[in-house]
Order: sequence, then C-alpha cells, then structure tokens
Amino acid sequence: MRGRNEGRGAVSSFELNTTIANLKDLRESDLTDYDGVYLGDIYCRLYEANFLEQLDDLREGLRILRDQGKRAYVTTYAAPRNDFLPKVQRMLEAAATSGAEAVEIHNLGVLKMAHDAVPELPVHIGGFANVYTAAGAEVLRGYGAVRFTPNYELSLEEIREIAAVCDAPMELLVHGKMPLGVSDYCFLLEYEEKWGTKCPDLCQKELFLKQGDWAMKSVGKGILSGKDVCMLEHLPRLLSEGHRHFRIEALSEGPAYRREVGAVYRAALRRAAGGEGDVDEGWWETLRRHARIGLCNGFYFGKSGMDYSGIRPEAMGSLPTISRLES
Amino acid sequence: MRSIRPVAPVRTPRRKGSPGRGVTDVPTLLSPAGSPEAVRAALVAGADAVYVGLKGWSRGGARGELGWDELVEAHREIAAAGKELRVALNTIPKPAERARLFQQIPALLDRGIRDLIVNDIGILAALKRRFPELRLTASIGCGALTAADAAFFRDLGADAVVLPGTVSPAEMREIRRIRDISIEIMVHMVEEFVLLGKCWMPSYVNLKPSRLPAVLPPGAADEADLPDDAHPGIRQTGSMKRGGVGACYRICQEPWELFDGGRRLDTRFFPSRQISRISEVRAFADAGADVLKLQGRSLSPELLAPLVRSYREAIDARAVRTIPDVGSAELPAAWTVVGR
Repeated sequence: MRGRNEGRGAVSSFELNTTIANLKDLRESDLTDYDGVYLGDIYCRLYEANFLEQLDDLREGLRILRDQGKRAYVTTYAAPRNDFLPKVQRMLEAAATSGAEAVEIHNLGVLKMAHDAVPELPVHIGGFANVYTAAGAEVLRGYGAVRFTPNYELSLEEIREIAAVCDAPMELLVHGKMPLGVSDYCFLLEYEEKWGTKCPDLCQKELFLKQGDWAMKSVGKGILSGKDVCMLEHLPRLLSEGHRHFRIEALSEGPAYRREVGAVYRAALRRAAGGEGDVDEGWWETLRRHARIGLCNGFYFGKSGMDYSGIRPEAMGSLPTISRLES
Repeated sequence: MRSIRPVAPVRTPRRKGSPGRGVTDVPTLLSPAGSPEAVRAALVAGADAVYVGLKGWSRGGARGELGWDELVEAHREIAAAGKELRVALNTIPKPAERARLFQQIPALLDRGIRDLIVNDIGILAALKRRFPELRLTASIGCGALTAADAAFFRDLGADAVVLPGTVSPAEMREIRRIRDISIEIMVHMVEEFVLLGKCWMPSYVNLKPSRLPAVLPPGAADEADLPDDAHPGIRQTGSMKRGGVGACYRICQEPWELFDGGRRLDTRFFPSRQISRISEVRAFADAGADVLKLQGRSLSPELLAPLVRSYREAIDARAVRTIPDVGSAELPAAWTVVGR
C-alpha cells in the first residue's frame, strides 16, 4: 500500500479508498492513487452489472485489484429484503474464497450472516449500519467488525468519542457525494416510457433534485448529497486526530472524477502526513471542476450537512446553508 | 375516513406477543398514544396494549410525549384495564445523557413498567445487560426488514422487533421462522420514499440542535427549578434518528425539481403513501405476526379511536373465523403530511 510507506513526518501511513460498482467501471478506472477499492453498488440489485449480483465479475474484480496491489474489499446492500438473502449468502462466500480482504456491511442481518458463514472475513461497518454510539460500535465489534464508518450525521467530536472507546479505526468520507438515504422503490422507473430510457440505464443519468439552493443527487433507490463533501483543507486535523482511513465516494461518478480527485487527495494527504497543511490552488480547481453543485463538509462540524466551514466556501460557490426552514 | 360501526361485544381470545400469556394465534393490537386522552381513547376502542413516549427521551416533534406524572397515571389506567403499556425511549443519547436515562429506569421498574422501545443497538445491549428484567423492543427505526435482521436482534437480547408495513404476509411467514423473538408489524403507517432509520436528508439541509425537555421525576416542581446539569441533553432537530420524525422539516413532502444536468425534466414529490393493511389482518396473523402495531403518537383521540376500533374489529373477526367486513382504515390526507 503506497500510503503506508509514505510521509516521513509526524504521520507515516494512511489508506485512501473508493467504491466501484461493476467490472466495466473498474477496468476503465485508473486506481494509481488509491490503496483500496470497495466493489459493489449498495442500493440496487438491478444496477448495471452490479458486482454483488454478478459473482463471476466479482471474482474477476478481486483478482484485478490484487494484481494491482490494491486492497480488495467488497461492500453489501444497504437495505436488503428477505428475497435478497440467498444471493447475499453466496456473495459473502464468493468474497471470502476469492481473496477479499474485508467485507463492508451496512445491514445488521447481513452482519449476522457474515459472522455465521464467513467468520474469517474481517468486517468493515458501513455508514447505513447506523453507528451513532460507542456502545453500538462495541456491539458490532463482537460480530467481527474491525473498522467503522460511523453514521454520516456524526460530527468529528462524536466520532472521536466512539473511536476512543471502541479501539478500532474509523473510515471517513473525505470527498464525494454523501449517502443521505436508501429506498425500497426506484421512482426513476416512472420515467422509462417518457424518457425512452430503460432500467438499468436510467440511474446512469446525472440526475439532481433541486429546490432553491438545496440539491440532492438521485441514483434511483439511493439519495446522495448534491454537493460534494470536501475535507481537503481539513486533512491535517483528521490526521492529527488519529484517522488513517479515508474514502472518496465515487460510486456515481466517472473514471475522470475517480482519477483526478484521487490524485488531489493522495497528494494532499502525503503533504499533510509530512506535517504541512498547504493546499495547492490547482487542487481546488480540480475539485471545483468536478463538483456540479458545490462543496460542503457533511456533518463533521456539527452543522447542517450541506454547510461548508473553512476558508474556501465563497471561492467554491458553496454558500453556507440559508435556513429557509427557520424563517 | 370511513364511518365507524358500533363495536361488537369484545371477545377475549388469548393473545400472543404478550409476556405471561398463552401463545395462541391472535395478535396483540398495539396502539399509539400521545396524550392521556389518547391513552383512554385507545383503551376504550379496544387496544390490547398502548405505547407512549416519555418526555425528553422519545423522538419528538409532532409526536406527543407524556411527562412523568402522566406516564404513571397512564400506566395505572392501562393496568387497571388489564392491558399493557410500552414506553418509547427512542432517542439516541450521548454517553452523559445515557447515564441520566439509565437513572430513570429503576423508577420505571418500581412502577411495574418494563416494556421499552429503543432505537440504538448500543442502548439496547446496555439496557439488557444492566436491567435484565426489562422487555426491550427494537424500534422500527432500527431498520429491520428480514429474517436475518430479526435473528440479529434476538441474539442481541431484544424481546421484540418492529417491521414496517411494507413487509408482506409472505415475507412475514419467512421472518416468523426466527423463534424466540416477538415479531411486530406496523400495519398502519406512512411509507415515505426513504426507509425508516435510513434517512438523513432533512439534517443535510438543516440541523438545529436544541435542548431536550427535562424529565421531571415524581415530586419535582417544574423544569425551571432544575439545575442545568439535570437537563437530559440535546435533541438534534432535523435528524430523523436523533431529533424525531415530525421535527424533520418534511423536506420530502415538498415539490422538487428534477434535473438531468442543466435540463429541468419534471417537478415532483418523493413517493409517499398511507399504508393500511387492515384487509390483510388475517394474512398477517396466519403468517405468525405477534403484534399488529399502529403508527401515530401525534393523533388526536378523535382520530385515534376509530382507527383502533377498525383494527379491533378486523382482528376479532379473524379470531372467530368470520368473514371480516373491514373496508379500509383511512385517515384524512392531511394527517399523512403533518404527523406520523
């Protein structure tokens, strides 16, 4: 892992990960600047060639990642129904026998299945598992959880409290569209006839729901933040607080986003790990170019998720939330 | 709302999902109540059990919560009627707040209140460990949907788990294969686009921390007399999990413009519907549901009573194997917007 051997300053290692839904995207992506990849789309079984449904593709994807020297992880559905479970079981077994280093789990029933069926496979807890408390994290440690993405609503202060108690690393979303919700229903199907586009191509469109200065991205059964979470200028703080595992959420993005944003964060993390906090102007320009709506910090600073705290919000066109609801 | 027929003489079949009772095939009817008046209305209308929120510790907003004295009185009335009380403690408190919450538990147990509904696996596990006599329900906000979820919560120590009314009788039959945990289903509820327990859209646009109301122990004067450190903590208004439905600004109830890149395609609402599975009461009971739960702590007694009565009739008709004439249980459309 490149990150582990980099940085001769105060911080000696970090891990930068991303998510890819299918084999086509994996093959088209330049993963040079990533240490690990989570394979699979957590929202929908019908997502085009989803690794979680195409188990031969999953095995091939894991092989590709291993051959590239990457950490090969598999993610799982955020909200499976009963009829998903046999396939989930087979997917877990395929992951375990095909070299996955860990499985990311968002659902407590799937956690039990993994614990029972593939106890040797380390578990990373995903954001939809709703880890809000250290007590909750401790429960999941008993099921083999070795890493946590706390619920996205938590602030850095709250995450620190959990990390201090549960003695396991946190994996933090540092850039990309933050998951905001998952549904049983894809409303994009209502538009198949009108748009002349069928599933699974519907959710490949770049669809945003907007209301005034609010925006969210639709990926069918999933709702993401419209703005990209951006923690670029806060990386020194994250490292100083002991965080070493970071995620660029690029599931709904193209290869260029994955490559260019990954390169910015690799460079910025390397610099921050060396004890420097400067941010290159070119990095901002890259992030601005890829952010359709603007930037935000998610909930890390205890504010509304679409707010931005820092020195760059005006430059990025990301004005703090105007709370129409409170007026 | 459909007209309500007079209630037939209430039969008294044994129920399941009720500790200490024989296990038969008649599910328990669990009614919400957000006020002392609603508690009485639910009992008169035929509820087998009533759930209420304890002020300061249940998800608030449009939902009603009962203060300590109201809770004690509600318990007295419910016990006198031979029914059961369940108390929702379904916020997710921080460690210091949790300590204060746990201080309240012995007082509940002293009064014979031991059925609690909780919303966080850590809280559930800690409560079970510290107060093994409690009977704990994993709230609908825990997001359980499958047999595997039910098995997880059983292993964690939950005595019951609540499933949403989107679960079908066929799924219920599969889930019921998990033994040693009571399976509840919210047969009357608002289904919104994002699954319960899996939504933080509202806090994305507006998160507003506010102080929780204090829980006054018996004999206390009023909130103003309490020292600052007696207040239980912060309610994250805008957060579905930590602030409460009804305090979530209902951004999904407003029109949104759908864009593909820069091109506006449509103006639309998120899909949302009122689920009423009253016509499937028999199917759910046959599939093994232990408890049929109704949503709506924000309902007035006037709206709650006919709703409970309708489900009472459907359950009783099923119990004696008559053909139910239940129609549908409906509420004014506005209710589905203003509260749950």
